[in-house]
Amino acid sequence: MLLQLKNIFKWVNSGGQRLFLLKDINLDVEEGEFISVMGPSGSGKSTLLNVIGMLDNFDEGEYEFLHESVHTLKEKHRANLYKEYIGFVFQSYHLLDELTVKENLEMPLLYKKFKGTERKAMVADMLDRFNIVGKKDLFPTQLSGGQQQLVGVARALIANPKLILADEPTGNLNSSQSEEIMELFKQLNSEGVTIIQVTHSEKNAAYGSRIINLLDGRMIK
Amino acid sequence: MLRNYFKIAWRNLLKNKLSSFINVVGLTLGISACMVILIFVRYESTFDAHHSNVDLTYRVVQHNTLPDQTTYWNTTAYPLAEALRNDFPEIDVVTQISGPVSREFQVTDNFGNIQRFEESQVLFADAEYPRVFDVRWLAGDSNSALSGTNSVVLTAEIAKKFFGLEKDNYNSILGRTLFLQNKDPLTVTGVVASPPGNSDHQYSMLIPYEFYKINNEYFSTNWSGNYQGTTFIVLGDTKIKGSLEKKIAGWKKKYLNPQDDKRISYVLQPLKEIHNETLYGNSPGGYIMPANILYTASAVALFILLIAIINFVNLLTAQSNSRSKEVGMRKVMGGGRFDLIVQFIFENSLVIIGVLLLSVFIVRILLNLLNTNLSIIDLQLELGWSHIGMLLLIGGLTLILAAVYPAFVVSAFRPIQALRNSKRFLGGNGFSLRKSLVTFQFGIVQLFIIAAIVLAIQMDHFRKVDPGFSSDAVVITETPDFEKLEVYRERLLADTGIDKVAFGSTPPMAVDGFQLGTTYRLPEQSQEEAMDAEMKIADIHYLDFYDMELIAGRNFLGNKEAFDEFIVNETLLKSYGWNADEAIGKRIQINEGQATIVGVVRDFNNNSLQYEISPCILLNWTYYQNNAFIKLSDGNYGSLGTIKNVWEQTFSNSIYDYHFLEDSIEKEYMVENLMFRGFGIFSILAISIGCLGLFGLMSFMISKKAKEIGIRKVLGATLFENLSLFTKEYIGLVALAFVIAAPLVYYFMNQWLEGFTYRIELSFWMFLSGGSITLIIAILTCSFQSIKAALANPIYALKEE
Repeated sequence: MLLQLKNIFKWVNSGGQRLFLLKDINLDVEEGEFISVMGPSGSGKSTLLNVIGMLDNFDEGEYEFLHESVHTLKEKHRANLYKEYIGFVFQSYHLLDELTVKENLEMPLLYKKFKGTERKAMVADMLDRFNIVGKKDLFPTQLSGGQQQLVGVARALIANPKLILADEPTGNLNSSQSEEIMELFKQLNSEGVTIIQVTHSEKNAAYGSRIINLLDGRMIK
Repeated sequence: MLRNYFKIAWRNLLKNKLSSFINVVGLTLGISACMVILIFVRYESTFDAHHSNVDLTYRVVQHNTLPDQTTYWNTTAYPLAEALRNDFPEIDVVTQISGPVSREFQVTDNFGNIQRFEESQVLFADAEYPRVFDVRWLAGDSNSALSGTNSVVLTAEIAKKFFGLEKDNYNSILGRTLFLQNKDPLTVTGVVASPPGNSDHQYSMLIPYEFYKINNEYFSTNWSGNYQGTTFIVLGDTKIKGSLEKKIAGWKKKYLNPQDDKRISYVLQPLKEIHNETLYGNSPGGYIMPANILYTASAVALFILLIAIINFVNLLTAQSNSRSKEVGMRKVMGGGRFDLIVQFIFENSLVIIGVLLLSVFIVRILLNLLNTNLSIIDLQLELGWSHIGMLLLIGGLTLILAAVYPAFVVSAFRPIQALRNSKRFLGGNGFSLRKSLVTFQFGIVQLFIIAAIVLAIQMDHFRKVDPGFSSDAVVITETPDFEKLEVYRERLLADTGIDKVAFGSTPPMAVDGFQLGTTYRLPEQSQEEAMDAEMKIADIHYLDFYDMELIAGRNFLGNKEAFDEFIVNETLLKSYGWNADEAIGKRIQINEGQATIVGVVRDFNNNSLQYEISPCILLNWTYYQNNAFIKLSDGNYGSLGTIKNVWEQTFSNSIYDYHFLEDSIEKEYMVENLMFRGFGIFSILAISIGCLGLFGLMSFMISKKAKEIGIRKVLGATLFENLSLFTKEYIGLVALAFVIAAPLVYYFMNQWLEGFTYRIELSFWMFLSGGSITLIIAILTCSFQSIKAALANPIYALKEE
């Protein structure tokens, strides 16, 4: 078992009323799963993803990640946990415009204190694996959206995470680019990486092994 | 990692060219200005600090307790030095100097031609002088060079000028002879380096004090009067200062007569304090830089630096929005807050260090400009290794405030918020830190502008006050020979461009620190009851020449070797309660003799306008008519040539020199002038830096509000309404800043003005105009950018989302 959410609640107080963002979420994720989270806008998909990614807190419930109780951990330890095991992919890529493709890929490694030679090898490996060696010295703005997201995925993968969280990874892409990214996810999944993606598209959701539907913060069957 | 930080920093700098430019320029201006002011302050506060004995050296100053007041003199009687030397073994060294004065010299050059030179910085110094003050000897023996009588020590500059030396072979001129005032032969016994600029002892030649004593026997043995002799002592230990002063107080009666003993007390003033203490006035050729001016200058320096730092901080934090995505990303990818703080400190420091290096160059340029263009005082400012500490201090302060703070702000962004929507970050409409900082900036700017306005008006007031005499187109020349005065006058008046000529000791107002002092009393009063007065020698044309009004009695009949007539001013009458008519015919005793009052002159400003009018006695003496006053008719400067010709024809063997009275009067306001210029320049600088920041800030605000403008425009807002969206906020801040700054500046300027007898009244419009100027400039700066935004087609602004 990779992670387990038990009775997770998350709310905000608005005008004296409690507005629930997540309501009684129970979710077990095994290693090697490929989960698609679906639901209309505002149903809590991204919030759920952020909670799983430990970027956001929840108000009630229990969360275990690799048998560690996340809800009892201090902020700092939680951060260390997600830094080590989780890679993020965003709808709007969030590549750093001031850095080249190569430098963008290198950045997570810098924070994980890899040595220079190791970093070079890992970046070269990634460039090779994603077929973007020719683009390594370009800046993000010089790439198409699909290519940017490719770099985004490569960056998420470079430090060998156990889990990839993707928040509408194809939301800004056209259909052929989307397909490319989803194929990539599928391939990664077959190589053993656990993936949780948020998506609006039935077609993309079909790539996953399991679909979770959310409505108003609740999981529905 | 550092390479990565460096790359990001550099690429961000290039990406935001406008704000990088503003940051660099603003901070460079601020740091450079701050450096220049502090270098100036340091220069002015370390006068004579280069002497190795500086901490142990004291000047003996004299306090005169008179019935109506106490006066403070920086000079002492000439015999004091010898007496101290003989009677106090606990004093290590005693030296006495006189001057510097102006003298003429005759030199026979290598080709046998006789050359004449006039040197204005001739200092008489005794043999102990080099033991008290550090002198760098290039040739000659420091122990014996000043111990003779007819010898002279030259500075290298003068040695080259007099003897045409081409190389530094100063030894070759030792033993050469030059003639002082065409008669006394002096042998060159040494060559020394010129004293540094920040020394109150400026000299180009040193002549043994013994020589001066022999030629001025009366002065040099007189214990009652002070004739420009200055005494310095070096103590073995500063602790004995107090006990020594007490000892001297009991000892002086050995030499002083009982009245003088009562009147005179000697005080030891540390050498370090001389240049910044106004109480004793400046010595000839020197000037005093009051300590409070230096404090003000330091405060100005700090404020300008703060304005620049605030710009930097405001721009960085405003800009940090555009970095929020990066912060979020870095956190998600494993960067901790600490890593980000390090990154942003590193990044900001990079800019600041670059700015510091740039400032070093700018400071050097500015110092050169200041040295050559500031004609009021002779500055020799230099950027040296000794200023490294100052640079580090300024750099450190800038780093802490401008690099560390924004780094903490930026690194605090929480990742999901930062990634989700950067627009939410600029903060609400509360009174944010940024607004407080901008208010602070505006406050300082207004402080400076109002101060500059008040200073300008006060300076103008000095020029406009009727001093009770006319100083227009008055040329002053020396008169080396009293016997030739009438010849000189007649020859001058032959030129139709010259209106009037008069002779006397000094012009009506004391200029160049020169004033003859005496004491006065009724003949039946004792010496103890005597009061201080200024004494002026005047001829029969003097009153008419300066348009001075006699309110009772008559003018002199003529000058005599034994003077017998006084004309006194109204202020003097007050000490006896006489009215003008009563005074006529009364006899008065002064130090130099007794005479009858024949006239009373309406009060004129015999002191510069910072000070009150003091009792003044004009006497019809033939002596001390040292100066000729020559009035040019209606700006007829062509007659300057005539004056020179006539002068050289009349007083051959002397070197001609002249100056305008108005220039000399202007010099009396040196410190005020300097302050006015300083505040003028620095308020322009402060407002420039402030506006630069405002400009930068506006471009961020506008990018933030572009959408709002677009919506408002679509809904029908006019250009003006859209403009006021930006400006109204700043108008409020300027107004708030004014409310804070106005009372402060009122307090300080009022205090400053209290130092002057002739001062302006502070009025509300001075403050209001300072505030308005700031407001107008702020609005213009805001509008410059916002007009562009307000005119833009709304579709572009709205399309983006």
